[in-house]
Amino acid sequence: MEEPLATKLEEMTRKNKKLFSFLCLGLFAFALIAYGEEKKADLYAPVYTKPLTAQPLKGFFSRAIELPFKLAKWPMDQGIIYTENHRLDKKTIWLYEQTLKQGVKPLFGFTDLSVYPYFGAELNLLALARQKEKYPDFFATTTLLYCPTVFFAVDSEIGAQRIGGTGFHSKGIVNYDLEQKEPFYGIGPNTSRGDGTSYRIETTQVGARAGYEFSPTIDLEAGFDYKKVNILNRAHDGKGDIRTIFAGQNIPGLGGDDLLDYSLTLGRDTRDSKDDATKGSYQKFLFQFTDGVNGSSARYLKYQIDMAKYFRLASPRRVLVTRLFAEHNQEIDHGDIPFYNLSKMGGAGANTRDSETARAFVYNRFYGESVLLLNLEYRYTVMEYKKFKLKTAFFNDLGEVFGKIHEFRLKDLRESYGIGFYLSYTRNTLLNFSVAHGNEGTRFYVKNKLAF
Amino acid sequence: MLRTSSRSKGILMSIQLKKTKQARQALALAILGIGVLGLAGTVAAGETVKFKESESSFYSDLFDQNIYNEGVNQLDLGRWGRKLSRKPLPSKNVNIFDEVPDSGFFTNRQGRERLSPEALEKGYQETSGPDLSKPLQVTAGEQRGIYPRFWVKDARGDEYLLEFDPQGNMELVTGSEIIASRLYYALGYTVPQFTILRIKPEQFQVAPGATTWEETGFKKALSQKRFEEYLMVLPQNAEGLYRASACKIMKGNYRGIFSFESRRKDDPADLVNHRDRREIRTLGIFASWLNHYDLRESDTLDISVEENGQTVLKHYLADFNGALGSTQEGPKEPMLGYEYIIDYGETSKSILALGLREKPWQKKWRLAGEKIQGSPAVGYFTNELFDPARYKTQFPYESFRLVTHADGLWAAKLLMSFSDEDIRAMVKAGQYSDAKNADTIAKTLIERRDLISRYWLSRANPLDGFSFSGWKLLFKDLAVENGFASQEGTVYLAQVMREGKKEKIAQTETKEPSVNIQPEWIPENGEAKILLRVRRASDKKTSPAVTVLLNAKGIQGIRHED
Repeated sequence: MEEPLATKLEEMTRKNKKLFSFLCLGLFAFALIAYGEEKKADLYAPVYTKPLTAQPLKGFFSRAIELPFKLAKWPMDQGIIYTENHRLDKKTIWLYEQTLKQGVKPLFGFTDLSVYPYFGAELNLLALARQKEKYPDFFATTTLLYCPTVFFAVDSEIGAQRIGGTGFHSKGIVNYDLEQKEPFYGIGPNTSRGDGTSYRIETTQVGARAGYEFSPTIDLEAGFDYKKVNILNRAHDGKGDIRTIFAGQNIPGLGGDDLLDYSLTLGRDTRDSKDDATKGSYQKFLFQFTDGVNGSSARYLKYQIDMAKYFRLASPRRVLVTRLFAEHNQEIDHGDIPFYNLSKMGGAGANTRDSETARAFVYNRFYGESVLLLNLEYRYTVMEYKKFKLKTAFFNDLGEVFGKIHEFRLKDLRESYGIGFYLSYTRNTLLNFSVAHGNEGTRFYVKNKLAF
Repeated sequence: MLRTSSRSKGILMSIQLKKTKQARQALALAILGIGVLGLAGTVAAGETVKFKESESSFYSDLFDQNIYNEGVNQLDLGRWGRKLSRKPLPSKNVNIFDEVPDSGFFTNRQGRERLSPEALEKGYQETSGPDLSKPLQVTAGEQRGIYPRFWVKDARGDEYLLEFDPQGNMELVTGSEIIASRLYYALGYTVPQFTILRIKPEQFQVAPGATTWEETGFKKALSQKRFEEYLMVLPQNAEGLYRASACKIMKGNYRGIFSFESRRKDDPADLVNHRDRREIRTLGIFASWLNHYDLRESDTLDISVEENGQTVLKHYLADFNGALGSTQEGPKEPMLGYEYIIDYGETSKSILALGLREKPWQKKWRLAGEKIQGSPAVGYFTNELFDPARYKTQFPYESFRLVTHADGLWAAKLLMSFSDEDIRAMVKAGQYSDAKNADTIAKTLIERRDLISRYWLSRANPLDGFSFSGWKLLFKDLAVENGFASQEGTVYLAQVMREGKKEKIAQTETKEPSVNIQPEWIPENGEAKILLRVRRASDKKTSPAVTVLLNAKGIQGIRHED
């Protein structure tokens, strides 16, 4: 009886010991795991060599220097956030697109003559009358432009860009243009800036054009215009009237004229973009006969060549632009060439109403019967971000106004060189900041289009 | 007279003494009162912290970072001092072991313990996504370009923001957003819940009073007809389902965004300027991994929530549709990731080079034939000409520029904690219909992880995983472990310094990743400071140092040289 009890007890003790050992082992394993865990967790514990304290971002002096900028930053930030929160940017774009849809294209830009921008609108009269879809090949537009103290212009055109599905096109034009301060420094290549003044010129023009488009790139157009030109006095910077300043000089056209223009223009344009060309070229040849009427002595021929070639230098990001502009006005039958219709050079423009691009010189700096101008410009892209592009351009303008062809002198060539930065979005120029230097000093330009 | 005088003087003195005593008592009481009030105020403040809403937007970010900060940083004398003395600014929120403790910005996840493939694929999830047992109520919309996005409410009452893919690029935006959210979450950042949603048009219902921001910039009532017009521009799969990334709108109070630069002064828990937080600095590195070019302050969220009876701020990264090969509008444009929106340095270099300099992204784009070679679902995401040192988000955040070697090592360590399988698991969350697309993305991410890690491990001191056992200081050479350097020809140099002094006690070299510690090096009641450097046969330069503080109990501190 005792023996089995002892065995039983012994067995129980062994079992308990086993259980205890298992328990101990379990506890040990648990402790090991827990220790391991704890040790690992400690690696990420927020125990620092020094207690964390709030410190300013910058030192006292740096903060003091920054303070005025910081004061200006706050309202800027608030304005920007307000703009974005209220989608004012999108609303503005929508408003612009809506006005376009309605037939009104807002216009905005900078002239060479004023720090004030010009503004205006192109009115698409067919769209405004809701007739554009009905007459897709026809157009009727009126453009109004105004620049305070510089000019006011109203240009109207009505016509068909395609007649009967052929390449023929025609239009009628009515323009009114009042230029408030056209600079004038005399005629010829060696005039002095000190002798300059400015005049007001009022032009009313009625005309017609007809032409044929041989292909999307080649066009021939004939034109007939009647122009009534009034020259109005304007004292300029206290220098006095143009008639006083240039008294005794033979300056035809000072009294204004009534003119009839007959012109023929052949144009070819293969550029990949008119505003931001990276390849292709354009050529324009103009021949014009002008005859004065109603007592005007004007009678002359105008020959004009304007051509440019855009060379891609192994990449669309590098473009070399060469441009040649040549114009000669030849009086006939002892007629005169009104001074305001002479060839003009100076400034950063290159359209019919501007003087030709010679950027180190003021607008209309040189007047002459002829002009020869070479523009060389190397443009390269320096920044691209999505559809934004920033280009840098180095340019050289070399040109001269002169009288008869044989009066061209190499020594009279005027040179300007400079650098420009052109910012564009979807190949439309937003900003053109250029600086040019020549023998008459340095000139800065802020514009929203390129010279060519 | 004299007596009177001395008596009165005495009285006067005793009165003065009495007055002084009273004044002292009053002062003591006042101080006590102020103290009690201050204490009460602090306690009360702890309970009812009110956070201001800090606003930002894309344009304000552009102005602040690209124009204002780029300018005023030049007026920071301290910054110039650091530049001239080549002294980096160390991160200030690292603990004694050179790690980043958990905070409202960052929670050690993969870094602390390897997450399972399931957890990696799942990311942060409160729900399995919008409940489609009833039609989703469209409460608001917004048109961005031609594509819309919608705010919806599901049957459970949870709100989601749905973003879709552009036409011709099915799975591009949604896949990128989901994958990036998984990767950021696993790294340790706070992100909202993102899930893929496939939905039929009839499972939407425009809620009464729903509004939409039109592309015109005007807010209008969202009609059923307008909603259907929106849907018409969105791509559908063969089964007629729309695919969206559904971002769950987080519960809590929206408190604006968080700055990558300065701390929130209204948050008592936010003591370190964000510029000096390692996890904020290294966001630039992680953005380069994920090709997340539009990582920006205005895409972050600060949400105040109640935790353990206290109001705390959670700092979220929230918008990832510009990650991998995607942008919100479609595939990434070639320059993204290479230049800031306004990049003064790159532009100046290009101006001076007269157009003869081909930028890396231009070369890459030219080599790709100026078109995206891969699948429309992947977009433009390759590692060709990828340089970890030159990756740029669209805005130049100073904090990303301040990354030190130690910060870079920390980021590389985190990156290398993801195995190839881990990355594949997270990419799986993108749910690409063609496995090849998932494979391409995973492969690119794996390669890029290695490129970035190799870069930082070759510049920083790559020694980590320290332990002290049997008078041996053991460590891991992460560069060798990850195959970026060979053990052969590698020598570890150890210098033992007296605590708090520059005096060298001993110096030793070893070819094995361990150093025998002599008991006499460790002072009785102090710590030995052991500086370890790595020299490789392939590299003439010795690595920066890592300092290990050691006492008889074990390792007391680790600090990699910045």
